[in-house]
Amino acid sequence: MINTTFYLRRLHSICGLLALGGMLMEHIFTNSMALGGSAVFNAALETMELIPKPIFLGIEVGLIAVPFLFHGIYGIYIALQAKNNTGSYGYARNWQFLLQRCTAWYLLVFLIWHVGYLRIFTKGISGTPISYELVQSYISNPIIFVLYIIAMFAAIFHFCNGITTFCMTWGIAKGPRIQCVIDKLCMLMALALCLVTVAYMGSYLL
Amino acid sequence: MAEQNKQTVTFIIERQDGPDSKPYTQEFEIPYRPALNVVASLMEIQKNPVTKDGKKVAPVVWECNCLEKVCGACMMVINGRARQACCALIDELEQPIHLAPARTFPVIRDLLIDRSVMFESLKRIQGWVEIDGTWEVKDAPIQNPYTAQTAYEISHCMTCGCCLEACPNVGPQSDFIGPAPTVQAYLFNLHPLGKFDKEKRLNTLMEKGGITSCGNSQNCVQACPKNIKLTTYLAQVNRDVNKQALKNIFNK
Repeated sequence: MINTTFYLRRLHSICGLLALGGMLMEHIFTNSMALGGSAVFNAALETMELIPKPIFLGIEVGLIAVPFLFHGIYGIYIALQAKNNTGSYGYARNWQFLLQRCTAWYLLVFLIWHVGYLRIFTKGISGTPISYELVQSYISNPIIFVLYIIAMFAAIFHFCNGITTFCMTWGIAKGPRIQCVIDKLCMLMALALCLVTVAYMGSYLL
Repeated sequence: MAEQNKQTVTFIIERQDGPDSKPYTQEFEIPYRPALNVVASLMEIQKNPVTKDGKKVAPVVWECNCLEKVCGACMMVINGRARQACCALIDELEQPIHLAPARTFPVIRDLLIDRSVMFESLKRIQGWVEIDGTWEVKDAPIQNPYTAQTAYEISHCMTCGCCLEACPNVGPQSDFIGPAPTVQAYLFNLHPLGKFDKEKRLNTLMEKGGITSCGNSQNCVQACPKNIKLTTYLAQVNRDVNKQALKNIFNK
């Protein structure tokens, strides 16, 4: 028996948690260096540049781009299978189910722009290295700042809620009590990550 | 609520003349009486099918059977939620009471729906115990007393379809078989004879429309009129299919 659907779904789940979740954590970690000012942030970026180019590119393609594309494209298929009904069934988990899909749509559009502009155009085509100064001038535009903050909140929620559903999907958390505990812990983690994001993004504007 | 107007009960019913006709709504008013429920109200409308504005119309079609929340036949959407009409008491409902068919299923007429898709799903997951003489059954094995309570709980499922109607991932846009048939697979996997076909059931649940279509919105467990802990058993089945997948990969 092949059961392609099963393996695609589980791959979608594991991609989201490990590859995309890892990428989000790396972003929050590296970007939070901005709290230390220009020198600390630029040093962190230089440390990353120490990774040999071919290996770096291999990681970017194999561990980031491919899982992202798979998660995104298969995710569209999954999102289209839902008819959201929070109007009639306004339970917290149903809202989270809806938000998981709303954040996904936002992030899909956002990431095409974000990766397309900063990674492919700015860093790739024009060859301008990413630096504290570049990011600062970029996000000092209020519209871009707001769109980026929303994207970070969306990504953090999508990731943290994803951990909760991962625990259900993989049969890790079975009973209602443990599911509730994991849900609350994940939402607390989301809140903490959102606060960190506001702190480092706000520091650019000071 | 019902306090303001004890003399009459107002219904706004979503009607549909045939499977492909356009739905429309009609308002009905019936005299109030204590302990009235939705099925009894529909019977009143049937006796005198006249709308609130005095137009004589065809009686509203619906389905009901046991009238004690055991058969599942009278499931419909009452004030936005899927539930059994027989145990929906007028005193506990906000008026006007909105009735609509469960559109997750094909509508035959008015509130009458075709739920045969659930029977097809039960056939798909092999929701029965094989006793065709393939193995000896004369000294029937006993139920495991530790899992008997769980089996008893799941066996209350009356295939009413509330969980399918409440589930955002079940409907014409998706091929998900829904919580009820998925959890029935677990019931038969618990059975001392049924468990011989456990692998077959789990492999079926790994196919398209099986348990992998579950999106964890958890509406099902809230909607179930028999209080079956659907999400708990869905997580258990998830665990079981994952183990089965490992077996499929590493045992060959």
